[in-house]
Amino acid sequence: MQRFLILFGALAFMLVACSDDDNTPQEDIDSFNRTAMLENWADNIIIPGYDVLNNAINDLNNATDQFVAMPDATNLANLRAAWRESYRTFQKVSMFEIGKAEAVFFRARFNTYPTDTATLEAAVLDGNYNLELPSNRDIQGFPALDYLLNGLGENDADILEHYTFNPNATKYLSYLRELVVELQTLSEEVHNDWTNGYRDTFVSNDGSSASASVDKLTNDYVFYYEKALRAGKIGIPAGVFSNQPLPQNVESYYNPEFSRELALIALQSTQDFFNGKSFGNNQTGPSFKSYLNYLNTIKNGEDLSQLINDQFDVAQNKLEALNASLVQQIQQDNTKMYEAFDELQRNVILMKVDMLQAMDVNVDYVDTDGD
Amino acid sequence: MKYAFLSILFAFTFFVSCSDDDSGEIIEDPIEAPMNYTFERNGVSTVSFGGQTTRILMASEIVGAFNDFDVATETSVLDMFAHSEGSDDFENTDLNASSKNVRSKTAASFDYFNSNTSESAAIKNTFDTYVSTHFSEVVPNRNTLAEAGVAGQIAQGSSVRYVTAEGLEMNQVFAKGLIGALMTDQMLNNYLSPAVLDETDNRENNDAGITEEGKTYTTMEHKWDEAYGYLFGAAANPENPLIALGEADGFLNKYLDRVDSDDDFNGIASEIFEAFKLGRAAIVAGNYELRDVQAMIIKQKISEVIAIRAVHYLQSGKTALQNSDMGAAFHSLSEGYGFVYSLRFTRNNADDMPFFSASEVENFLTSMMNDGDNGLWDVTPATLDTISNEIAAKFDFTVEMAAN
Repeated sequence: MQRFLILFGALAFMLVACSDDDNTPQEDIDSFNRTAMLENWADNIIIPGYDVLNNAINDLNNATDQFVAMPDATNLANLRAAWRESYRTFQKVSMFEIGKAEAVFFRARFNTYPTDTATLEAAVLDGNYNLELPSNRDIQGFPALDYLLNGLGENDADILEHYTFNPNATKYLSYLRELVVELQTLSEEVHNDWTNGYRDTFVSNDGSSASASVDKLTNDYVFYYEKALRAGKIGIPAGVFSNQPLPQNVESYYNPEFSRELALIALQSTQDFFNGKSFGNNQTGPSFKSYLNYLNTIKNGEDLSQLINDQFDVAQNKLEALNASLVQQIQQDNTKMYEAFDELQRNVILMKVDMLQAMDVNVDYVDTDGD
Repeated sequence: MKYAFLSILFAFTFFVSCSDDDSGEIIEDPIEAPMNYTFERNGVSTVSFGGQTTRILMASEIVGAFNDFDVATETSVLDMFAHSEGSDDFENTDLNASSKNVRSKTAASFDYFNSNTSESAAIKNTFDTYVSTHFSEVVPNRNTLAEAGVAGQIAQGSSVRYVTAEGLEMNQVFAKGLIGALMTDQMLNNYLSPAVLDETDNRENNDAGITEEGKTYTTMEHKWDEAYGYLFGAAANPENPLIALGEADGFLNKYLDRVDSDDDFNGIASEIFEAFKLGRAAIVAGNYELRDVQAMIIKQKISEVIAIRAVHYLQSGKTALQNSDMGAAFHSLSEGYGFVYSLRFTRNNADDMPFFSASEVENFLTSMMNDGDNGLWDVTPATLDTISNEIAAKFDFTVEMAAN
């Protein structure tokens, strides 16, 4: 046993000696201004994004009021337009699952799909449901609104019938109302948290530990890109993770012509964030890109930020080549979905492995063990 | 890899000292383990562990029934646990026809419980209580949001978890506790025990090749295979179970794979498999010393698997707590709770006792649940570190090695 320990010690010593030889400690020379990057993220991207989302959801709320007051074709068209606009805006902020958004499970509450229509219908009729329950995430949010606005019938007349002559019309109207109110509440909660103090907490937590803002948001960003965008929008419906394609898992399934657009907005938003581009204009500030460029000047490595931006462009082209309806794309030529997935996947590797390594950020999530 | 390398060194040292002891004797044909776990007599397989496969399948259905809200009740799950032949307890009709059940083999090894029936009964009752607590406390609250002191559902990522008022997921506690109380206890403390392998005239019969009536195997061969069955009995290829290791069941097989997949412990699965094959070959050759050496390797390694997973889940629970992800924390800590419970069924070759006694395990679990009034809602990282360190201190791994 003693000999065993000695051997172990000797090995450990050799190991330590080796790593000493190989490495110049990079912490000492990484003096990138993380605070400035956090300020750019908070003030020019995240908070303006939640501003716009809040306004879009207010519009959605008003359109819902009008529809509930008078459920006719015009008001349905207006409500759908408001739903689409707020759904688009949501794609631009969904990657920021930190702070209050993390605490309230913002993305899961807004965008769990596919909707469980049987449970939703039961909740409508019963009128007694708790939208805060984790088991009820798939009967709320934008996907549930998609079902209520686009999926209740074969055509607009059928859909409007549910809100007018149907014996349960008031129940459908009331459920629709509830879902929108819930989105408004959550959106305001997150927005207000950022503007009432969290912004400073976020910016001042400018260290480089696992709980520091840069490390956390970087993880949230890569997690979003890998799981919600690459897998959720493309990989899962294409059947990459299952035996068969799952077209019913396409985002905006009941209005499938909208699905590619949502994916494209999400992808463009992740690229914009990578480049530190301000929300709503073309100004740029400190970002992953400038951080990597900074590290590049001191490490003389390859131009990682250019590689990542090039790969974003390739993936963008692949997505643009898809049918506007990803449901149709899957049914007609699913290979193209796979090709798009592959190009999205390449940036998972460049960001999750190479970028995080360069920035010395540890991945804080693992795939669950499936039990 | 480092771990595997050291183990080989260790084994080599052991091997050298063995042959030193034997010097002077004429060494006959060395006993070699076959490629696969395949043993035959007159061209017919002598390997059999159907009873173990059956119990693993039963245990899987029982654990699955906890959250089958539309179908399962406290009574139906307790009936599955204590199944009697012909009762319509399981979906799998083969299981219904079986005379075997899980409960009677829970905390039922010869070495630990033969003359300790009071503790055996208490442990069986503990598993009954896990079921009862789930159905009386958690299920009625399944549509309530869990909070400190209130049972209900809680999110872990996109999964929904159902926890007691103290944050425990009873299906996890039951499943991970059963890994110790059923699989590990039966394997290490019953079928690999010399007291069981050598019972009555097993050695004479094995030496003479006298098989059980109507069977192809000797009693001793069969006992060894039954130990093997609790680890590999549900595998698609039980004769070569390292292919697709971890896919056979959600119990010991799965967690051997998880430990083996950690670079710090890579190789442990094949060490266990080799020991099973060599020990079985030793029985065929009538070399009982070699058999027992292999049994000791298995006892040590399986005990390590339990301890590593206990520390692993306590540590991942700690990390989740620090991230305020209570759903993930409770899930990990519930698994950790079950693995800590399982430590009482491990086997230390130094004294043929568990690495942690029943009362030591009880103290761990009590300290986990008593940092505040509401169990896991209040547990502190310091408490989880203390338990992790105490567990790791009895083995050659560190908390860090187990944590990642």
